[in-house]
Amino acid sequence: MSTERTPKSDKELWQSLVFDPSPAPESVSDLDFAAWLEGRLPEARAAEVDAAIAADPALRRSAVELSEILGMPLPAASPRIAVRAQALVGFAVEKQASRGSWLAAVLPSFGGGFSLQRGAMAGLAMVIATVGFVMGGGLGESFATEKYATVQSTTSAPLGVDTSGQLNDLFTDSL
Amino acid sequence: MTELNQIDLRSLAAGHKRTWDTFVVAASPLINAVVRRSLNSFRLSEDDVLDAAQDVFVRLCANDFRLLKTYDPARAGLSTWLAVVARSAAVDFARRRRQATSPIDDVPESALAVEDRHVEKLKIPKGLLTERQTLILKFLYDEERDVAEVAEILKIDAQTVRSTHHKALLRLREHFREESP
Repeated sequence: MSTERTPKSDKELWQSLVFDPSPAPESVSDLDFAAWLEGRLPEARAAEVDAAIAADPALRRSAVELSEILGMPLPAASPRIAVRAQALVGFAVEKQASRGSWLAAVLPSFGGGFSLQRGAMAGLAMVIATVGFVMGGGLGESFATEKYATVQSTTSAPLGVDTSGQLNDLFTDSL
Repeated sequence: MTELNQIDLRSLAAGHKRTWDTFVVAASPLINAVVRRSLNSFRLSEDDVLDAAQDVFVRLCANDFRLLKTYDPARAGLSTWLAVVARSAAVDFARRRRQATSPIDDVPESALAVEDRHVEKLKIPKGLLTERQTLILKFLYDEERDVAEVAEILKIDAQTVRSTHHKALLRLREHFREESP
């Protein structure tokens, strides 16, 4: 019988070892974990997440399960899930969210640029003002009306004259 | 049917009802799959599974969609992030129910093994293995995954898993051979 020790298999070797000191599991944000699952983390951050996952059996199990689910076709869900979830958000929430102004609702969102939307609102206000001004005759007519009114007031109706008395005289003369 | 990556996230976070409804229909299969898988080891009823899925949607829209607003499309895909959120919510749901029971076949052998406290384990010093080497050894031996599965999880090719595993074991064997008398 040989007394020579048989070498340990890789697994046996690993199971005979323990980390010193045993690393404490660190928390990993949902977004970092998702980025890690997609292999999109920068190398330094990926190493930190690797260490956190290596130290936490629950995170390792999550990684295994999520990787499997994300790599396979998904079965259809019960319609009850969608019906119940859709009831969580009502039209009241939508109204509340868009209470800002009616004009903002009419205008396109331009992909969300707030300043662009404000600019468009100011532009629209300018257009409305200009159209109104032109329809009212513009500067020329306004000036002419003002000039005519001034002439009338200086020639035919001096200050302090009672125009109703003049009208009375006119009617009584013709009789 | 609208895909998850076609959802207008700004409109969703603004609480628009139609966008929310579209999002729910697109996200339901993924959330259902993740919740079912996460609750697999807990003997919960079908109603519990539906409640856990509802919990995920409640988390997403609670406090004026605060959680949804933390999502950054530049860092991770919506499906992956949603799967992580769904798993986390499902695990919390199961903990609240406190009915954790695992079918014995689902538990890795290492977790069931009774540790012989008389055998003193050799200590791996800090820095001997890289984080990636440690993780690969943990997936292979503690989680009992094969090389292809580990490659899929880590989004690397199987050959890289094999070579990282090989280098890690060489380091361990060298280190402990030097230490042994």
